[in-house]
Amino acid sequence: MWVKAVEIIVSPILAFVIGLFFMGLARKITARIHWRYGPPITQPLIDVIKLFTQRSVSHGLLFDMGVILSLAGSIALVLFIPFGGICPLESSGGLLVILYLMLLIPLGLALSGGEGANPNISIGISRKLMLSLGYEVPFLLAVLAIMTHYHTISAVDVVRAQEGFRWALFSWPLVLPGLAYLMILPAMLGLRPFEVVQAPQEIASGPMVEYGGKYLALVQIEHALAVFVTIALFVDLFLGGASNPFFFFLKMCVIFLLGMFVNAVFPRFRIEQAVRFLWRWPTALAFVGLVFTLLAR
Amino acid sequence: MDRNQIAKWLKEPGKMGQKYSLWATYFCTGCGIIEVPPVITARWDAERFGVIPVSSPRQANLFMITGFVTLKTLKAIIRTYELMPEPKYTVGFGSCPINGGMYWDSYNTIKHLDKYIPIDGWIAGCMPRPEAIFIAVTHLWTLIDKGMADGYIRYRENYRYYRRNQEMVLGKLEWPPLYPVD
Repeated sequence: MWVKAVEIIVSPILAFVIGLFFMGLARKITARIHWRYGPPITQPLIDVIKLFTQRSVSHGLLFDMGVILSLAGSIALVLFIPFGGICPLESSGGLLVILYLMLLIPLGLALSGGEGANPNISIGISRKLMLSLGYEVPFLLAVLAIMTHYHTISAVDVVRAQEGFRWALFSWPLVLPGLAYLMILPAMLGLRPFEVVQAPQEIASGPMVEYGGKYLALVQIEHALAVFVTIALFVDLFLGGASNPFFFFLKMCVIFLLGMFVNAVFPRFRIEQAVRFLWRWPTALAFVGLVFTLLAR
Repeated sequence: MDRNQIAKWLKEPGKMGQKYSLWATYFCTGCGIIEVPPVITARWDAERFGVIPVSSPRQANLFMITGFVTLKTLKAIIRTYELMPEPKYTVGFGSCPINGGMYWDSYNTIKHLDKYIPIDGWIAGCMPRPEAIFIAVTHLWTLIDKGMADGYIRYRENYRYYRRNQEMVLGKLEWPPLYPVD
């Protein structure tokens, strides 16, 4: 009972710290690839502290509530993700709840952006919803293949079934949805080939353009949690989780670094190129994987 | 991080955050902006000082006016400055915002920028080298540390003066006053 309560409090904080560490690592590694020195690795934390001390401008009640809804959705999402043996709410819902809660993050931002009434927000939000339409299809197919193969909707059971190096990414036919998930990870994280949502040079950072001060700090925290959740879910479903948080963290680092290397050197897709790519290769891979999984039962 | 800064971080985290995370708004006036791309990219790398460009004035807290200011640009500068969240810092870059520079007798540039918005520091020169921006940033750190970078407070307290000067050159302004004037 007490252990559970402590886990529920600690795991969002842990996710926040790891997410901020990843954002700092991203800036540092991008800088090193560009042959720059780069900021200190604590720079995102410094930014969040600064943003909390600024005065900020609100555009109405819905503007505040949308940001809070998005943040609350991502905090609730963290509680359902198994993190190397720690899973605060393991017995309730599993993957289906995760799939539902993942929708709250863009929806909250869309709700808040509607109140902002800036044309750049509308463009950014429509791009975000279009892009999530693109990656939700292969994502759902990949998760469906996992659920069919392991006969369960619980993320903890999926991790348990892959103990002892029987990782889904290296087993037939789950390697196909695994590769599909790996391809859509940059789109889910908003990294460079798919950085159409907050393209600072085109639409002035899109949905974030009206956020300043404390709102931007909340959005940064929400982004850190979303980075954590997306990568942790991949590690849980396809890399067999881990027996303790440290090895889990190492696996997350490997996946994140792969994404960063792509991010640092590639230019940006246009939105229709992004959706065309997402609906062609990852969807085809995930669909073929699902069909093979069904045939192999 | 310096070890002797840990006590400062624990004592005043807000002020230290504002020091080490200066986000500059994308805004260019005149020719000074040509020095900024080398500063923020690989050659001089402003990111190691925590200075990054952001694309919206709502997110920024550093405003650099880079070069001569025409009357048309002044209008945009005032609106951008008023959109930024407090605390905010302004730096005039180059000779022209200081005293008109080579446009001292031009009919449509303003000569003294600090009559219209408060300025926390100047970088003199025509053009200043990119290193001068880093010297300015470290000077700004000292000013923030001592509480002397108080341009936004001066703007609030002397808003009547600034508004009167703005209306003197721009005619009637089409936006309402930021602070009450009576």
